[in-house]
Amino acid sequence: MFSRIFWIARVTFLEALRQRFLAFLLLLAAAFILGSVPLRSIDFGHGELKFLADLGFGALFLFGSILAVVLPSQLLYGEIDNRTALTLLAKPVGRGEFLLGKFFGSWAVLGVFTFALTGLIGIILLVREPDVVARAIALQVVPPEVSVVGLFEHALLQWLRLGIIVSLALLVGSLAQTFLYTVVVGSMAVLASQLVWIAQDTLANPEAVLSTVMRGALWLTTRVFPNLQGYNIGEALVLGQSTVVPGTVGSLCLSAAVYLVLILFLACTAFRRREI
Amino acid sequence: MTDKPAISVQDLTKDFRVGLRGVKLRAVDHLTLSIPRGQVYGLLGPNGCGKSTTLKIVLGLVPATSGSFTLLGHDSASPEARARIGFLPEAPYFHRFLTGRELVRYCARLSGVAADRVDAATDEALELASMTEAGNRRVGTYSKGMLQRIGLAQAVVHDPELIVLDEPTAGVDPVGSAAIGKMIQAMRQRGKTIVLCSHLLGQVEQVCDRIAVMDRGRLVLEGHIDEVLAQRGVHQISVEGLTPAARQAAEEALSRHGAHVLKVDHPRQTLEDLFRQLVTGSRD
Repeated sequence: MFSRIFWIARVTFLEALRQRFLAFLLLLAAAFILGSVPLRSIDFGHGELKFLADLGFGALFLFGSILAVVLPSQLLYGEIDNRTALTLLAKPVGRGEFLLGKFFGSWAVLGVFTFALTGLIGIILLVREPDVVARAIALQVVPPEVSVVGLFEHALLQWLRLGIIVSLALLVGSLAQTFLYTVVVGSMAVLASQLVWIAQDTLANPEAVLSTVMRGALWLTTRVFPNLQGYNIGEALVLGQSTVVPGTVGSLCLSAAVYLVLILFLACTAFRRREI
Repeated sequence: MTDKPAISVQDLTKDFRVGLRGVKLRAVDHLTLSIPRGQVYGLLGPNGCGKSTTLKIVLGLVPATSGSFTLLGHDSASPEARARIGFLPEAPYFHRFLTGRELVRYCARLSGVAADRVDAATDEALELASMTEAGNRRVGTYSKGMLQRIGLAQAVVHDPELIVLDEPTAGVDPVGSAAIGKMIQAMRQRGKTIVLCSHLLGQVEQVCDRIAVMDRGRLVLEGHIDEVLAQRGVHQISVEGLTPAARQAAEEALSRHGAHVLKVDHPRQTLEDLFRQLVTGSRD
């Protein structure tokens, strides 16, 4: 089973690397990140490194999310529309294995995307760090520090977050009949997951006046959609601007693993019933 | 186990729901069919008659609405059955960036060929499909005939017992089509069961042992090719050097025995045979 998943993932990865869409988004995100360097003086009073990190992480998440929705949908529908899926699924390949192969292939591409862009952000931050530190010392304020370990941890968390988005897109793709529907509904699911913290905060607020129906709807939202905003702790990890509670990274990794297993299980179950 | 048919279909029905109102469209209508082992079996019929849907159901790619079916005596969803079949879908598309050899290796891996056998199995399949030389070219550069041949190679790389070919010669020129016909014959000689779904009736007639004809989802004819095509009340005699006098004498002799000559003409070869005599090879 693992061998078949590996081979499908490998071919999916190679196919995805040849997609112009990937190259386009990678170049766009890189241009966005590099474009922040000459604009660093407009830091809105938050400090140069924070400005560069904010823009970099924002670009990584924005373009990564688009890629995480579109790429697996494109690869899944490409195989179904072109009948390659017929050839593969007539072999002793389970539908679940096929879908997991698509997932791991797409996720591996997003790994390249995430770590390449994080590397670029890291280079920019590390190149600018000595100047910023010198200025801080001259002004007798606490100098900021770029944490390479924090950068790696942030990249790992973003990769996991994008993995959850890939699995959501494949779940929608397993149920939907068209590529466009998958992309639209997948994007809405990502948006809902990104905003689910609002529902959590509202439910946790004892002063919030909510009807039973609204409370029920919010409760359901917080249970159905993963809280993707929770993975947004890059600033704290990389620049140490705020305190990260020990064990947060591990807890987020565990939570992502649970979501991945659950969503992929649902996607595989739905895909088994699908007519190819 | 070997006495069981390669494919057995009992009272199979498949309905599709189409449009927003979910109007029912019956693609296969109470089909019962048994495909024996070791033969080349032709499944014929016009477009939309349910041939491909039947094959997809049997291969476990589409669920049936009702009815039962087995593949080599097993449930078609079982890995045991799937590992023993090879399938070439109609108008196959393969990953363009892979070379033919990489594609066949990939399919060998997915079909459960042991790691130490993959290279040998790939070479054998490429050779059978006459794709050894083109095996190192990217699939994206292949002609239609080559795509079908590499499709055939991926279908047989794991040495399956049953090979299902859906329109293997669609869009292929007569020379390429004849080459695919030869591959089918070669596989039959190796004892394989081949199910051939095709519109090229001439080729089906040449290579198939048995045929089934479907129309509007129903089976309208099934039997051995010679039995279903033979005109029992009419005989054909080929004569060389027939002079007008000899012809008259023969007609009189036949007439004395109550037989009548219906037609005397020169035998014709098929246009396909003539084409293949004139054109010795494709540009593949």
